Amino acid sequence: MSGGSLDREPTVIARTVTRLVVPVILVTAVALLLQGHNLPGGGFIAGVLTTTAFALIYIIYGLDYLETELLHRRPTVPFGTGTGIVREYGNVFAAGLAVAGGGGLAAVALGFPFLTQGVAFFEGVPVYHEFEIASAVVFDLGVYAVVVGALLTILAVVGAE
Amino acid sequence: MQPSRTALLALLVVPFLGAGLTPLVYRVLGERTAYYAAAVAAVCLGLVGSLYGTTGTVVVPWIPSYGVSLALYVDGLALLVGTLASGVGVLVFAYSGGYMHGEPGQAKYYATLLAFMGSMLGVAFAADLIALFVFWELTSVSSFLLIGHYQDADASLYAARKSMLVTVSGGLFMLVGFLVLHDAAGAALGEATFRLAGEGSMLANADAMVAELRTRGLLVPVLALVGLGAATKSAQVPFHIWLPNAMEAPTPVSAFLHSATMVKAGVYLVGRFRPLLFTDEWLVLFAALGLATMTVTAILAVAASDIKELLAYSTASHLGLIVAGFGLSGVLGAETGAFHILNHALFKAALFLVAGIVAHEAGTRAIDDLGGLYRDLPVTAAVTVVAALGMAGLPPFNGFYSKELLFHAAWEVATEAVAGGGSPLWWLIPAVAVFGSVFTFLYSIRFLMLFFGEKPEALGEVHSPPVAMTAPAALLGALALAVGLGGVTATAGVHLAPVEAFVGSVVDGTVVAAGDHGGHGNFSYHLPTKVTPYLLMSALTVGVGAAAYPSFDRIRDGVRAVRAVDPLRPNWYYDGTVHGLDRSAAIDIVQTGQLRTYVVALSLVTAALTLGAYAAAGTGLPALVAAGLEPALVVVLLVAVVGAVAVGAAPSHIAGVLTLSIVGFMVAIFYILASAPDLALTQLVVETLVLVIFLLVLDKLPAFYGSIPRLRALRDGLVALAVGATVTVTVLLSTAATPEDVIAAYFVENAPVPAEHGPVFVDAGGGGNIVNVILVDFRAFDTLGEISVVAMAALSVVTLVAMRERGEVR
Repeated sequence: MSGGSLDREPTVIARTVTRLVVPVILVTAVALLLQGHNLPGGGFIAGVLTTTAFALIYIIYGLDYLETELLHRRPTVPFGTGTGIVREYGNVFAAGLAVAGGGGLAAVALGFPFLTQGVAFFEGVPVYHEFEIASAVVFDLGVYAVVVGALLTILAVVGAE
Repeated sequence: MQPSRTALLALLVVPFLGAGLTPLVYRVLGERTAYYAAAVAAVCLGLVGSLYGTTGTVVVPWIPSYGVSLALYVDGLALLVGTLASGVGVLVFAYSGGYMHGEPGQAKYYATLLAFMGSMLGVAFAADLIALFVFWELTSVSSFLLIGHYQDADASLYAARKSMLVTVSGGLFMLVGFLVLHDAAGAALGEATFRLAGEGSMLANADAMVAELRTRGLLVPVLALVGLGAATKSAQVPFHIWLPNAMEAPTPVSAFLHSATMVKAGVYLVGRFRPLLFTDEWLVLFAALGLATMTVTAILAVAASDIKELLAYSTASHLGLIVAGFGLSGVLGAETGAFHILNHALFKAALFLVAGIVAHEAGTRAIDDLGGLYRDLPVTAAVTVVAALGMAGLPPFNGFYSKELLFHAAWEVATEAVAGGGSPLWWLIPAVAVFGSVFTFLYSIRFLMLFFGEKPEALGEVHSPPVAMTAPAALLGALALAVGLGGVTATAGVHLAPVEAFVGSVVDGTVVAAGDHGGHGNFSYHLPTKVTPYLLMSALTVGVGAAAYPSFDRIRDGVRAVRAVDPLRPNWYYDGTVHGLDRSAAIDIVQTGQLRTYVVALSLVTAALTLGAYAAAGTGLPALVAAGLEPALVVVLLVAVVGAVAVGAAPSHIAGVLTLSIVGFMVAIFYILASAPDLALTQLVVETLVLVIFLLVLDKLPAFYGSIPRLRALRDGLVALAVGATVTVTVLLSTAATPEDVIAAYFVENAPVPAEHGPVFVDAGGGGNIVNVILVDFRAFDTLGEISVVAMAALSVVTLVAMRERGEVR
């Protein structure tokens, strides 16, 4: 398992390209997430794109790479449900649901119906001059987290099989 | 007086709320959660107490379009069952604190037990048939969880499944009966209603209901359907088989659910419907059912080898007695049922707690290994004397009075029927009552003798139980004794007024308004002062019982020999049926365990249903419109078609997946050409992810499966054609419809930033991307639902794949 899910070792080209491409994908995903309100994009697309980046890492570098190299720890039981990275993915989508639902409840607290979204404009911001912030961004962030957490959970659990 | 709406609703909310909070409380309190649960039960008991003296209905709308409401009705009968559920609940929770010490799964245990208590209170107070059914099944479900508390033991799992199958299927029959009643109420009362009690309800118009049912020829079916529900729940013959197995549950559960409360739901139902459905057919059906149960299970109790098994059969037997009481006519019948519900709950809950103490302290429940326990457990022995003699029906203990009422009622019914020209077979009723009672006497004395006589050598040291365990048993025993002694003092003119008034109010709830004459609310009981036929029946019972007791062992062996004959055992039929269903040939054909079988079935059914619906609705195919089809679009679509054909002809999985993604990417381009960049982006990203995941999986699959038989290829081709045709027709139909674009116009108008706006606004989307604004603003609630589904999918993958090693299969 630790050598990667493929029986053959991936080529140097594949490894190098992955190293270059993954950060680009992640930045693109964040851009799509943030611009979603006015241009094509949004939480769901950004989430799926982020998952794709992680899936590439899983394929090229193996399932344990993320834990050993990024989190600097030894994966214990591979993908046991109570421990390891699957649990953290679970926390991600749980937090996403909480953010999305909590944002809706915040509207209730302010006296609007559940999940009402508002927009605020700020004048005189440097560079932008006029800057728009929609409360829907919070909701989109929740969607993003749920999609990333859930898809990665599925990917990790199924990948470990 | 009208009951307080707040108190009544709080009564239903508090237990469920308490159950929901239990896991959190358990983290803080640990094993002392027992006292938290007891406090919740005490609150409920207080609320029930606050309802005393009130009668009436409180209605909360539930599903108005179907006429279903959460109607709650308070009367004596409801209060009796409510008091038992919450009162015995307090004691059982306190007792659990001692009994469950060091046991696994306590948070689940207390939460389920509290939820059960709430469901039972719901059953007691529900005045709407649907609400009653819901609470009824909730008690079955919580009972299932509690019986299966020890998830590692096969016996527990078997018992839990058995009780679930028997009681839930009985409940479904009952539901059918309720629906028939609902329908009949439409004709009898002018409007179809589910309301059972209160104003304008079925009970208030019992005569019209019975007349309507009789003209439709549905009276006996309704009696049978409702009777099945009651009989399965109250363990009446031949459905008594689940109750002895249910003793696998922890003893407090047995004391609570399987003696004092849940099994009382069935007899409660009989009592509740008695004023509505009492007729000659009712008398024959329920008197026969009750007496048969009382006798058969009393005989089986004699053959028991385990103290809890003995108590289980005895519970079924006493439930039979109550059903028989409600089955017999007149005020006497109602009094028998009502009074015995109370008496039985007192002495039987006490005996179960005693059984728990014995099992806990002596370390065994085998009847033959126990004896002479009074030296080590003096308090428990005293409780047993009171409770067991009450169970035997000896004066002056409480069970005597209700049994005497049964004999009285049976005698009256028989003499009246025979005097009215009935057949002498009516004498069977009192005869069987006496016959069954002899066995009741026998096993009651046998249970009592666990505490007397010589202590067997093999029985080791018997510890003394904690106060938390003896106190509830002693309290129940004291109450039973008080009720019994109340009869003695009543003979001298001093009545135990609260008990008599209470039972009187219960009787009021179960007497037939027109048929039963007199006796409303003025129930009283006392020792017999003169010699009557029914006193002689009691004397006969005790005399024969005492004479037969010395040869108890021989009677027991005889019963065991008869019990060993397979076709006489309902269990034999149950096991055979369940096993047969489990391993029938049909299952092997339907459940092949291969994905392709399920996919074929699913696709064909979907196609057939969809096309069938179009045909049934008489929808015609719209004409194809080729206008607006640009050359670029045609090229893209043609490439997609070529890709689709290539998928079918692909020689390997890799080629198949790659050609499949051609189709996907062409669809994305199609979206771009149709000016839907968001959809295109999503399609591209998802397509990429799927491709990547496929690459992850493909390496593990064989490169090629080999050629498939021609016949199967043909079959698969036909299935594919059918599905394709369905989708094509659906697309044609759905795109041909051009509804007025009210919603789209609204979105287009409101999604962008309005021309004039303040710094902060909430009435418009304020975004340039309409699709995204719809997703996160206008339809955010839908999106919330969708991401919940995504999260659930992830959870189910974790559960199915990663946790499959846990649980039942080890």
